[in-house]
Amino acid sequence: MIGKWIGKRMVMGLIVLFIVSFLSFFIMQVAPGDPAIAFYGGNAQTLTAAEIERITRAYALDRPVAEQYVAWLGETVKGNLGISYKEGRPVFEIIMERLPNTVLLFSVTMFCIVIGSLWLGTVAGMRANSIWDRGLSTISIATSSIPPFWLGILFIYVFAVSLGILPSSGSGDVGGNGGMVDKIRHLIMPASVMIVTHVGIYARFLQESIKRENGQYYVKVARANGVLERSIRNGIVRNASIPYLNYIAMTIPSFFGGSIIVESLFAWSGIGQLTVKAVVTKDFPLLMGSIMVTGVLVVITLFIVDLIMYAIDPKLRKGGIR
Amino acid sequence: MKLRKALLFWYSLLGLIVLLTVFSTILAPYSPNDMNMDEIYSAPSSDHWLGTDHLGRDVFSRLLEGGKVTLVVASGSVILSLFIGVVYGGISGYFGGVIDTVMMRLLEALITIPALIIILVFQVIIQGGMWSMALLIGLTGWLVTARIVRSEFIRLKEEEFVKMANMLGTPVWNILWSHLLRNSIPAIFVVTLFNFAAAIFMEVSLSFLGIGIPPAIPSWGNMLYYAQNDILIGAWWIGLFPGIMIFLTILAINFIGEAWKNPERRRVND
Repeated sequence: MIGKWIGKRMVMGLIVLFIVSFLSFFIMQVAPGDPAIAFYGGNAQTLTAAEIERITRAYALDRPVAEQYVAWLGETVKGNLGISYKEGRPVFEIIMERLPNTVLLFSVTMFCIVIGSLWLGTVAGMRANSIWDRGLSTISIATSSIPPFWLGILFIYVFAVSLGILPSSGSGDVGGNGGMVDKIRHLIMPASVMIVTHVGIYARFLQESIKRENGQYYVKVARANGVLERSIRNGIVRNASIPYLNYIAMTIPSFFGGSIIVESLFAWSGIGQLTVKAVVTKDFPLLMGSIMVTGVLVVITLFIVDLIMYAIDPKLRKGGIR
Repeated sequence: MKLRKALLFWYSLLGLIVLLTVFSTILAPYSPNDMNMDEIYSAPSSDHWLGTDHLGRDVFSRLLEGGKVTLVVASGSVILSLFIGVVYGGISGYFGGVIDTVMMRLLEALITIPALIIILVFQVIIQGGMWSMALLIGLTGWLVTARIVRSEFIRLKEEEFVKMANMLGTPVWNILWSHLLRNSIPAIFVVTLFNFAAAIFMEVSLSFLGIGIPPAIPSWGNMLYYAQNDILIGAWWIGLFPGIMIFLTILAINFIGEAWKNPERRRVND
């Protein structure tokens, strides 16, 4: 059963990656100048006629667009993402340098958001009409209405300009003088901006879901039979976490979008900042590469969420498809 | 009773913001693009209520004018995404079967790609002004609307009055228009409200990154773009006020949308 289910999710992921690759290929097509030269960016002038000929053949540039796409996709899958205009280095190399930072920022924020929202959502959801319940309903709407980058600007003003206790930008270097501490100091502001603006709305979703479960017949029966409150709560949270996980899966794309902006604001040298830099400097190969990588990241993350859901939800194991 | 009062407050706040921006040309004490090099970075005072920016332009005037730009872009894009969403979701929901499956698979795939990425790609190619911005946000913002319209259509299609109309030979367009679409309006309204908030978010985010509205036109996002540097020299007023306006606008929309989501809260007589 699991094989079939995983297969289905993987096909979905592949479709997504195909669309992303069309988008990326589209950039190459509309980029000014000869695609072969465009792809080799700043080094294009130094190319000899023979090399241009070789590139043209490798990317099937003298063939119809469909064949060009296939040739380009083949090269991309092999990891050849072209050469950056501005830096003159292979795009793949640049992206690999940046990737750990993005993964670090994403996993730290996501971990804190999940832990925080599980706690807040459970507390608020289990005590209907308490101050927690009503407070979270209102505060979550308020925090999710704050533009993250604006909160970031305020944070920079307070913590970096006025108090001077945190660095305003950069991503620190584990190998540098500061070591790991420096990295963490740089991480605090971007991560807390993402956490503050997201944790409430996720908690609220769980809270509503728990409140719905709490009113169900099976919970009443369990209570009437004197089942321990603790195990009732565990059961409710488990059942309520399925729509909650679904919600996380649905919002992950926009979460990645949000981190692009936060990364740029704090000059956190991750994929998001790279993407924006590529757009501003019109570095087409770099832009194509970072878009592909973002697509892959989203697909992998969604796949992990799917696996967790599969582990929690018995209906999926019995062969249901959400 | 308490809830209704709160809702009234959010309605008035949103109304006030819209009015302020619509009449920005009359209300603004200075022209939004008037530079005054003698008064750069002056803090809020009685001359300049909200201070001036790095070119000596009045922040309050730019705030009103910028609000107009931001809200116009958001409205334009929402109208477009509403139209695409209703057509796409309507076709998918009404016809069902293979068409529905294919259309929904495509939609699921599209929803997975961060909208910001798609807009960045097209922005690097067209680099247009306000309207191309609205077009791009609209073209990427219809997915949730389509999903809602589809599920409403599927639900309504099974209702007795629709089956009855079918049996009586009511023309298809008439069923679509006056039975399916008209009964979906409350749900569509709610999702459109949230879309509007999302469109504002998108515009300010892009302009903030410096790749949205051209710098010559003031918008809330553009103002924050310059505020990034201004804040480092301590000019907090340039960044604070546009952010508060964005926050209040989105907050009001979100609270109104939440209220509309729960039908019992919006009824007048109970």
